[in-house]
Amino acid sequence: MRSSATTGLATILSAALLLLVTACATKLAPNYDKALVDGLISTNVKLMEFFASTSSGTTSDTFATRKKTYSNIIGRLDALVIQSRARPIPTNDITEKVNKYLEKKGVQILDGGDTPSATALEKISETMSKMRDTDIKQGVTAFEVAAFKGQVVIFMDQAMTYESFLER
Amino acid sequence: MARQIDISKLVDEMKAAASEVLNKDVTTFRGFSERQVKAIAQQTKLVAMGIANGQITEETREFFLDSLEDMALNFAKTLRGLLMVTIEKVWNAVVGVIWKAIASATGIALPTPE
Repeated sequence: MRSSATTGLATILSAALLLLVTACATKLAPNYDKALVDGLISTNVKLMEFFASTSSGTTSDTFATRKKTYSNIIGRLDALVIQSRARPIPTNDITEKVNKYLEKKGVQILDGGDTPSATALEKISETMSKMRDTDIKQGVTAFEVAAFKGQVVIFMDQAMTYESFLER
Repeated sequence: MARQIDISKLVDEMKAAASEVLNKDVTTFRGFSERQVKAIAQQTKLVAMGIANGQITEETREFFLDSLEDMALNFAKTLRGLLMVTIEKVWNAVVGVIWKAIASATGIALPTPE
């Protein structure tokens, strides 16, 4: 009798736990997008080729020879930003709970409205636009090319690391 | 017929599932953080030198200085993004273990949670 009651209780508890578990499987980050990662890799190659070709610095009188490359690279980057932002970002109770927990621990909540890869790609696009505009106006010194490149490498590492990590 | 769930075994399995995810992901966090911190430090040095020797011109000076802040902020945001992925993986791995235990205890074949 006791054994039967215990078994029944265990079954009910298991069923209750099952209902809880059914509601628990969760998604906290966007889906992995292989096409986006492939786009990042090929755009990164284009960027590094361009920096290699301008590493000695540029003068504004030869800008016309680089204009098409700037347009190509900036266009690719902007397309990747759109592709990255086109994915739905999961929002749910768990995200809110994690944010509240971090707040309690004194960790400032960084706005989660955008994926870090989209922000990084946007910053790379801004960097290349600034380089282009400076190139038109006065040319770019070798030192400035190195600084533009350093900036792009840092943001690209952020974008590639995050997007690759989404493959889970 | 329902079987009892062995609590200590279930706890061990949940710990193992969480540890497996964490051990793997911590390596990625560490590598990414080290690369970023070193690169941002080098970029800071480069910008400071360029401003001091005049190779970074008036035209780009403010842009590079503002960008240093943007890089550091998005580094933190990227780390947070990676952390969310890890929390998701740990959560789902633990749920998977619980799911399996319930399936075993109740004799009901349950699909793996996605």
